[in-house]
Amino acid sequence: MPWMNQVTADRVKREFKEVEVERTKHTTNLHVRQEKLVDLMLHLKEKEGYKLFVDHTCIDFPEKKERFQGIYLLYNPDANERVLVKTWAVGGELPSLEKVWPCARWAEREAYDMFGVVYRGHENLRRMFMWEGYSHFPLRKDFPLEGIPEVELPSLTELYAGRTDPPSHDYELVHTRVPTLEDLERTEKSRLQKKAQLVLNWGPLHPGTHGTIWFLFDLDGERVVQSDVILGQLHRGMEKIAENVYYFQFLPYTDRMDYISAICNELSYVTAVEKLLEVEVPEKARYVRTMFAELQRINSHLLWLGTGALDLGALTVFLYAFREREKIMDIIEGNAGFRLTSAFLRIGGLHYDLAEGTLDVVRAFLKDFPNRLKEYHNLLTRNRIWLRRTKEVGVITREDVYDYGLTGPVARGSGVPYDIRKLEPYAAYGEVDFDVPVGEVGDVYDRYLVRMEEMVQSLRIVEQCLSKLEKLPKSAPFVNKEHPAVMAPKEEVFMALEDMVKNFRIVVHGESAPPGEVYASGENPRGELGFYIYSVGGSKPYRLRIRSGALYNLSIFPKLIKDGTIADAIALLGSLDPVVGETDR
Amino acid sequence: MATLNSNGFVLTTVDELLSWGRRNALWPLTIGLACCAIEMMHAAASRFDLDRLGVIFRASPRQADLLIVAGTVVNKVAPMLKLLWEQMPDPKWCITMGGCASAGGPFPTYSTLQGIDRIIPVDVYIPGCPPHPQGLLYGILQLQKKIKEKGVNKYDKAFEEFRKDMERQGLLPREVVV
Ligand code: SF4
Repeated sequence: MPWMNQVTADRVKREFKEVEVERTKHTTNLHVRQEKLVDLMLHLKEKEGYKLFVDHTCIDFPEKKERFQGIYLLYNPDANERVLVKTWAVGGELPSLEKVWPCARWAEREAYDMFGVVYRGHENLRRMFMWEGYSHFPLRKDFPLEGIPEVELPSLTELYAGRTDPPSHDYELVHTRVPTLEDLERTEKSRLQKKAQLVLNWGPLHPGTHGTIWFLFDLDGERVVQSDVILGQLHRGMEKIAENVYYFQFLPYTDRMDYISAICNELSYVTAVEKLLEVEVPEKARYVRTMFAELQRINSHLLWLGTGALDLGALTVFLYAFREREKIMDIIEGNAGFRLTSAFLRIGGLHYDLAEGTLDVVRAFLKDFPNRLKEYHNLLTRNRIWLRRTKEVGVITREDVYDYGLTGPVARGSGVPYDIRKLEPYAAYGEVDFDVPVGEVGDVYDRYLVRMEEMVQSLRIVEQCLSKLEKLPKSAPFVNKEHPAVMAPKEEVFMALEDMVKNFRIVVHGESAPPGEVYASGENPRGELGFYIYSVGGSKPYRLRIRSGALYNLSIFPKLIKDGTIADAIALLGSLDPVVGETDR
Repeated sequence: MATLNSNGFVLTTVDELLSWGRRNALWPLTIGLACCAIEMMHAAASRFDLDRLGVIFRASPRQADLLIVAGTVVNKVAPMLKLLWEQMPDPKWCITMGGCASAGGPFPTYSTLQGIDRIIPVDVYIPGCPPHPQGLLYGILQLQKKIKEKGVNKYDKAFEEFRKDMERQGLLPREVVV
């Protein structure tokens, strides 16, 4: 995807004299003083068409005077261009952009939580992932990955069984601080001021919340007067981990973010890293990647279908959908050796070559699956209960899509054809033919139809990849091992000395990336998953920001459910389809 | 030991009967925390079908006697999970599914609890990241075996100690009397 063109940049420069335009190898950055930030953003949004708020985060430079640099990523849907806006937080403060884009509220909360940057004018600046009373800012460079051990937490299993010699297991007695229930209660109270009759907690440990999301509803009878969402019940510190491991070591962690679509995550991640390291990927690997990413998309949509229908009382669909999921997981397991968190891709290609017989199995699946889809349609699409529960519920307008940074099927359900596979083709998406289904009304039912149609389109892509792969010779390379930063496949490491030496070097010293910054994203089943990598050279990213589609899609929830009922909340949440591993990271 | 005599009667002890009933009707609480929960769902769904072992997921802790901790437990969720555990009636058991719940797994970070056994006594640990549904099945069978061998009473003392320990740390919620 191109970045802001010269003409626009000049126009912006005429309007704002002090804005500096910087063109790096992979991005275009606008530097602005923070007093002018809000004006510039309004200008970009309203005059220049940079309507879609993609992401915001900070970077910590402890040796610089101002220390924190705020970064905003915007997208112009008409020109298909992106731009990065950067500004320094003077005195640890930045102006809030929530008046310009409501979804900035969540991103700012997160930056406050992780860096301690204060946002002037934010309506309720609270901890995003940690709890009220937590006293550290984890993503600052002076904070250690393991946190600060403070309390003694012995293993109870060992305590009760009696200490054994040798010990039953090996663990550190001193642990980071665990909040008390009072801490959590304070967190809850700080979020929502009761206005109506009753505050209902939904989650975090509730079967209907698709993981561990914590909802607060202020209810008047059954009507929701206001609501808020507390996240962080699965905040594992992914971005901090990324700063502490080599590029190739972070790949398995991406599997565990949006664990339902592991291969799609990997694909987004390797796309970003390959851009940074400038690695060419062999043709076969590109097609296999595309094929597996699409199988994974079907797999993910099946889980959404099964659980979404289960939430609304249709148990049959759940059992049927899981039947097909098992088939896809078998294909993945046969190739990657793992069902869910597969770690199948590698920087520069694939970990393994295609397993014997994969193409036949995929063919058989392709033949069978359309009939299964028909079954789901028969069960739901004209089902009267389903229609009553989903039609006209949670309507998202086009403006909402841009204001809240919505992407993926949620944006497309409202008629915005935003699909990274088309706009910035990665892997082999530029060479295959498929359509982007869009909805009209933008309600839950439309999002349902969009996802159902996406499965059909995925089948088309898989079919084309399959035909291509059948034509390629079996011995075609599946990893670009010529590149100095790409590991050779394992079998060759045992046979060739230079491969062994090279792998040894990468495992010990990492890939040594050039300095620079990249942003690359992929179209995940849950929207745009982007990786922004800021490298200062060396083998570990200085900052790796994960732009989560699920987080931004969820950010519209409080607005949509206002004046709705609790029953609608379930249908609505199912249609937004968040995965907590990705929203919380 | 149950014995069958020539009149067609089965003789057994009350303890034995209770443990037989309990181990064949383990009702876990429906809780999913992270990736492992997806495999737990698969274990319950079409192919692996946990129902045939008498394992039926319950949505309320009051009806459950098994806690399958499937997924990463972060510090923030730990007190809530413990609250749920305390709401489950005795006797109860706990299975950790996956590396995260067992010992922090791949996340030795500031926000992750390094093993659920820091707050809840665990009966069976299932390794894996995530374990295969078959792994979960095996873990449940192991728990059944354990119940058969050890009976169900041995937990009373443990719970008493556990409660005291929580009280000492000031972690016991005020309104919940265990
Ligand atoms: S053990 Fe692995 S699969 Fe299970 S929750 Fe942890 S990271 Fe996810």
